[in-house]
Amino acid sequence: MAAKKAASGTLKLSPTMDLNEASALHAKLLSMRGGNIVIDASQVERLGVQCAQVLVAGARAWQADKKSYVVKQASDAFAKTMQLIGIDAEHLVAKEI
Amino acid sequence: MDMNEIKEIFFQECEEQLAELESGLLKLNDGDRDPETVNAVFRAVHSIKGGAGAFGLDDLVAFAHVFETTLDCVRSNKLEPNQDVLKVMLKSADVLADLTNAARDGGYVDESRSRALVKELEALANGEVPVASAEAPKAQPKPAVAAPTDDSGFQPIPFNFDGFDEDETPADAGQVYEISFKPRRDLYSKGNEAALLLRDLSRIGEMSINCDLESLPDLDKLDPEESYVSWMISLRTTRSEDEIRAVFEFAEWDCDLEVRAAEASPSGEELPMVPVPFDLSILNDDASAEAPAPSPTRDAAETPAAAAETATEASKMAAAAARVERKESAAATAAAAAASNTAAAAAGQTIRVDLDRVDRLINLVGELVINQAMLSQSVIENDTTGTSSINMGLEELQQLTREIQDSVMAIRAQPVKPVFQRMSRIVREVADMVGKSIRLVTEGENTEVDKTVIDKLAEPLTHMIRNAVDHGIETPEKREAAGKDPEGTIKLTAKHRSGRIVIELVDDGAGINRERVRQKAIDNDLIAADANLTDEEIDNLIFAPGFSTADKISDISGRGVGMDVVKRSIQALGGRISISSRPGQGSTFTMSLPLTLAVLDGMVVTVAGQTLVVPLTAIVETLQPEAAAVHSFGANQRLISIRNSFCPLVDVGRILNFRSTQANPVEGVALLVESEGGGQRALMVDAIQGQRQVVIKSLEANYTHVPGIAAATILGDGRVALILDVDAVVAASRGQSLKPEMSLAATG
Repeated sequence: MAAKKAASGTLKLSPTMDLNEASALHAKLLSMRGGNIVIDASQVERLGVQCAQVLVAGARAWQADKKSYVVKQASDAFAKTMQLIGIDAEHLVAKEI
Repeated sequence: MDMNEIKEIFFQECEEQLAELESGLLKLNDGDRDPETVNAVFRAVHSIKGGAGAFGLDDLVAFAHVFETTLDCVRSNKLEPNQDVLKVMLKSADVLADLTNAARDGGYVDESRSRALVKELEALANGEVPVASAEAPKAQPKPAVAAPTDDSGFQPIPFNFDGFDEDETPADAGQVYEISFKPRRDLYSKGNEAALLLRDLSRIGEMSINCDLESLPDLDKLDPEESYVSWMISLRTTRSEDEIRAVFEFAEWDCDLEVRAAEASPSGEELPMVPVPFDLSILNDDASAEAPAPSPTRDAAETPAAAAETATEASKMAAAAARVERKESAAATAAAAAASNTAAAAAGQTIRVDLDRVDRLINLVGELVINQAMLSQSVIENDTTGTSSINMGLEELQQLTREIQDSVMAIRAQPVKPVFQRMSRIVREVADMVGKSIRLVTEGENTEVDKTVIDKLAEPLTHMIRNAVDHGIETPEKREAAGKDPEGTIKLTAKHRSGRIVIELVDDGAGINRERVRQKAIDNDLIAADANLTDEEIDNLIFAPGFSTADKISDISGRGVGMDVVKRSIQALGGRISISSRPGQGSTFTMSLPLTLAVLDGMVVTVAGQTLVVPLTAIVETLQPEAAAVHSFGANQRLISIRNSFCPLVDVGRILNFRSTQANPVEGVALLVESEGGGQRALMVDAIQGQRQVVIKSLEANYTHVPGIAAATILGDGRVALILDVDAVVAASRGQSLKPEMSLAATG
């Protein structure tokens, strides 16, 4: 259930990103600070607001670290939930400088 | 805690809410107009609906919603809760209970009845008179124009302005609302999900959204379970403000929500709004996705459905959360909270304990009592002076043990209220079926008794209530003809009397028709045609097996398995039942039951070298027979003369086959016991050892059923003593002998 690190620098989100998953996601992001990160959202079937806010906070942290933070292969459910709750994709992108 | 346990908690709470609902409605029925009573009733239905939504119990949610809408009209004084209205509501409460039971364990729900009631409730909410109407309009949150008020008979016709908008495009239709939505942490922890609420909101109109992430802290300071995000939403919709709020109804206590109609132009000048126009069907769980585009003609009933859907999905999320093993129990707590909106309110004063744990404690305390008695006995045997400190300490231990036992028993004690409340439903239903008007008055419903007794009480009581309604109370016409109130009264009371609970069922009906009972008994060969019976004996004939006075076998009662079954059930509980009746004035059934089935105050006696325990409640008096008072009667019957009346003498040792010949009465002691028929018997035993409280151990569970023996106990010296089944012994003395192969000579 927990977000799994598929490879170094890649974080694969689990299908159900609910309240419970928010803590795991948070811990995972904290442990991956300092390097570039690719977030694989291809498997997400359900995305809760609390996970979304962790992802946004992550993007800001990576932005501050001047590292790249990219959400790739966002599933339809992921993209539409983000759009529904008014979180712009820009909130989730930090560029490596 | 898994989902089933959470669901079970929900159903337990449903029971409490249903009880609240019924008692509130009955109060209203009695003329109580306290707004708090109405609120309590409303809250009960609302809580059931909320919990049911979280578990996806759609039937329950749909019915509760209609019920709640009507109750809301009462709450806002738009509907006067008169007798007719309350009749519909009480029936609705019954259906709600049925639906809850059906959801719990697949019980039966009369769908036609629930559909008819939905229509009646909707009609009430629309200000119509409470008569079932096949064409009743759908529920609306606000009642439509009231019934005709004009003397001229002029009837105002409700005018629907919606039609004017039909030709306009949906985008231009409706009002723009500005909605400010800020969820709190609790919203998520209770299993709700803001994204799903927003999705449901987007379905009732054209929505633009601005997400405020200002308060989102840095990643390392962020609490992933906290709520930081809030929204400003602009929604163009044809729905009312109430319907918009209904989307949030399962979360309304856990968020800051403002809904207001926007002025001339939609908001959006200040905040950058992102439109949410696309197809969100991917966010649905299944293929039954609703069309995303709002339509002005959509049915109002969809709003609760959407809300229920939100709750369903939220509960699925909660379920998923509960499956994950975590160190903290936050997820489980969250899911549990989702089970009911009101869980927290009740949690303060009471805790729920699994009955098995209580029973285990009771068993252990029983063992402690036995152990303490054994210890006392061995100390007494070894210390004849009786003054040692050990002896004194033991006495204190004995007191403490007794106190612990009483306290533990009190844990199992429950008020009889739930059973009594069930009876009021039975009265309503049966009275409806037979076309009688009957009022049930209950008293002493907080009287407490052991849970086992309560559980087993419902069935005989139901039967008696049905009988009272069907046979006891006359039809309104007959009552009026007899100068009585056309509405009959059945009074159900409970009280404690000398260590037992006494339940009385009094009706003000016609009383027992002794001539008819007698004739029926003769017809059924229960008595001889020329038998000379007292009124009391005739009354008691109704408890005879196979006796039924109903001329026609009905659905309600009169299957011929009536009161004898009741009597047997009561006896199985260690209780007694009696009847007194006055022609034209009604009947009174009195049941006397033990407060607990775990301990018993008994008289310890010796019979043919065996130690037996006779329940103290059965004993009227004890006496030492004198030779002059004992008379032979027939071949081997004997009578004892007590205060100028004769009473059959029963040798317990002989009846139980402890000995082959009858003992000499003068050498023993006679225990005068009251039998169920009202007559007395003198039970002969050899000697009385004393009185004591004994812990009942089931013979059936540990050995096998033994005729004439109710149960067993363990005495202070560790020996097993049998507890006498007085009624069985008395019955055997009448000629219905105990089975000889079950001789007890070897079991003691």
